[in-house]
Amino acid sequence: MVTAAASHKPPAIDWRLALMAGVLVVIALVFNVLSGGIFLSPENLYNIAQQTAVVGIISTVVVLVIVARHIDLSVGSVMGFVGVLIATLQYSAGWSWIEASLAGLAVALAVSVYQGALTAVLGVPSFVVTLGGLMSFRGAAFLVADGKTQPVSDPFFLSLGGGYDGAVGVGATWAIAAVACLALVALRLTKRQSQKRYGAALNPLWLDSALVLVPVALVLAFAASMNAYSIPNKDAPQGVPIPVLIWATVALLLSFIVHRTRFGRYIFAMGGNPEAAALVGIPVRRVTLMLFALLGLLITIAAMVSVARLNAGTNSLGTGMELYVIAAAVIGGTALAGGSGSILGSVLGALIMQSIDSGMLLLDVSIGLRYVIIGQVLIAAVVFDVLYRRLTGDTV
Amino acid sequence: MNASDGALAAKPCLVELRHIKKAFGGVHAVDDVSLTLYPGEVVALLGHNGAGKSTLMKMLAGAYPIDSGDILISGQKVQVRSPQDAQRLGIESIYQTLALADNLDAVSNLFLGRELLTRWRTLDDARMDADARKVFLRLNKNFTNVHIPVRRLSGGQRQVVAISRAIYFNAKILIMDEPTAALGPEETAMVANLVRQLKAEGVGIFLISHDLHDVFALSDRLAVMKNGRIVGSYATADVTEDEVLAMIIGGKKPLDKPEFSRPAAS
Repeated sequence: MVTAAASHKPPAIDWRLALMAGVLVVIALVFNVLSGGIFLSPENLYNIAQQTAVVGIISTVVVLVIVARHIDLSVGSVMGFVGVLIATLQYSAGWSWIEASLAGLAVALAVSVYQGALTAVLGVPSFVVTLGGLMSFRGAAFLVADGKTQPVSDPFFLSLGGGYDGAVGVGATWAIAAVACLALVALRLTKRQSQKRYGAALNPLWLDSALVLVPVALVLAFAASMNAYSIPNKDAPQGVPIPVLIWATVALLLSFIVHRTRFGRYIFAMGGNPEAAALVGIPVRRVTLMLFALLGLLITIAAMVSVARLNAGTNSLGTGMELYVIAAAVIGGTALAGGSGSILGSVLGALIMQSIDSGMLLLDVSIGLRYVIIGQVLIAAVVFDVLYRRLTGDTV
Repeated sequence: MNASDGALAAKPCLVELRHIKKAFGGVHAVDDVSLTLYPGEVVALLGHNGAGKSTLMKMLAGAYPIDSGDILISGQKVQVRSPQDAQRLGIESIYQTLALADNLDAVSNLFLGRELLTRWRTLDDARMDADARKVFLRLNKNFTNVHIPVRRLSGGQRQVVAISRAIYFNAKILIMDEPTAALGPEETAMVANLVRQLKAEGVGIFLISHDLHDVFALSDRLAVMKNGRIVGSYATADVTEDEVLAMIIGGKKPLDKPEFSRPAAS
């Protein structure tokens, strides 16, 4: 290959993600100083990680929904509806948590595909469909148990929410961290090898090393701090909370879908140019329906985590969550116009939001002021997005 | 293969459109149109905006369903219900809008809808990348920035991406809708060369164009449409630009010219 040496290659660093990670670090350091070292304590980090998981899980897939030029305003209500249903089936109907969760999944899929079909097949704007859903399914969440709180008690189910027994312990945490680090190294090596094989230009060794070592250091630091936190009346430290593991698994799975499958590529193509997607023969309706089905699956998982975290299903579960989910996606660099966004971005976006929120909580900022600030952070993120795209010449 | 009757009975007809009709609401966008295309032939379709050229071609490409009428490919009656159907029949289209996903790179766009997969059903990026570079280089030696979003490419490079689909997937029948409308002189020459090259390989080409210069330089035959109907179809060498303009504007056939005899419709 004579020509390949001169070939243009994609930038080695995603500057936008790097910048967001930098913002997150600055936020953490500032709050740490202001709170006298509490913010970066293992206990606080454990809580932030665990609290972000529910919003984070749904954000990953809402990124794809927005990329495909749709929106879902009903995620909080549907999660509430499904969560109460799962709790009710366990508490009032005596089902096992597995049966109850599968029933919840079936209902979530039905709801999502119903809303997806109205959008994909009939062409009703998803904004309208899911705005209706926002109210309807909040009502349905009330109807399921007549507004009564439904406690859950299955120990395994409760562990999904984090909490007292909801972490994997020290040994497993180190094992998972080790596997993650090895995977990071292996991925980078495979990439270098395939670049060599096809004659593409290689990154300088120091750059590739940095691209491996920074994430590895983060993983190890996170594992160490989770292992440093023990609940006062327990003898062993907690380790990684299970909801965080679920979130990480979901994020990895969706990243895989985005980068390695047709389905993922079609979602981006549909967002970039819906007309072109149809003209080249992409089955737009089917892809849209599959996307909404995936949304239903992840809403169910988030509902399980959420109910387990609260030890109960209530009809207010997930109220207002759609705003946090969409905000996390947008702060993470997802363009509301569609066609661009990343899963890792949504993870950072969710963490940034939650960090600001709980940082202010630590500093005793009043609830009113917290809302004011979080709202302005969202606007700042969008302003940044607009300026960044103008600067780099990306008009979408 | 059953050879069609008509003037060129020696060669089998590559595409035969018979009595195609299409209405949008009450408007007859395409009204009882019959048209043929032979291997290695370039047929130019002319007419005002809204004359029905693009609609007719979109039906052949599977983008619109036909209301009534038949499509025959190499003498066989076929159903073209989707772009995939058209692709399976060897019909490729280069749309005026190019049909590119602007947020994806050139390689992804070339394979869009027809990605190469590994045996685990995941995207085979390495193979797609290597194959795509070969096609792009054949069309434009300087085209190497294949991994940036195509919205950042020049008009000519974007056109290369759209054309490369037809080449990579071995079009037998190529529909080009205003292929040179947005191009500079050098790139227009590239398209013209390509048309001649594909023609020599036996590809049949429908060329929609407003540019009479292109039409006379590239086409063997031309058909003029007005208000959804064919005004007339002539060998390009038999008519003058003025006569063609009269057909486009007034719908008037030249009186003394032999019209291309269409195969008898069944």
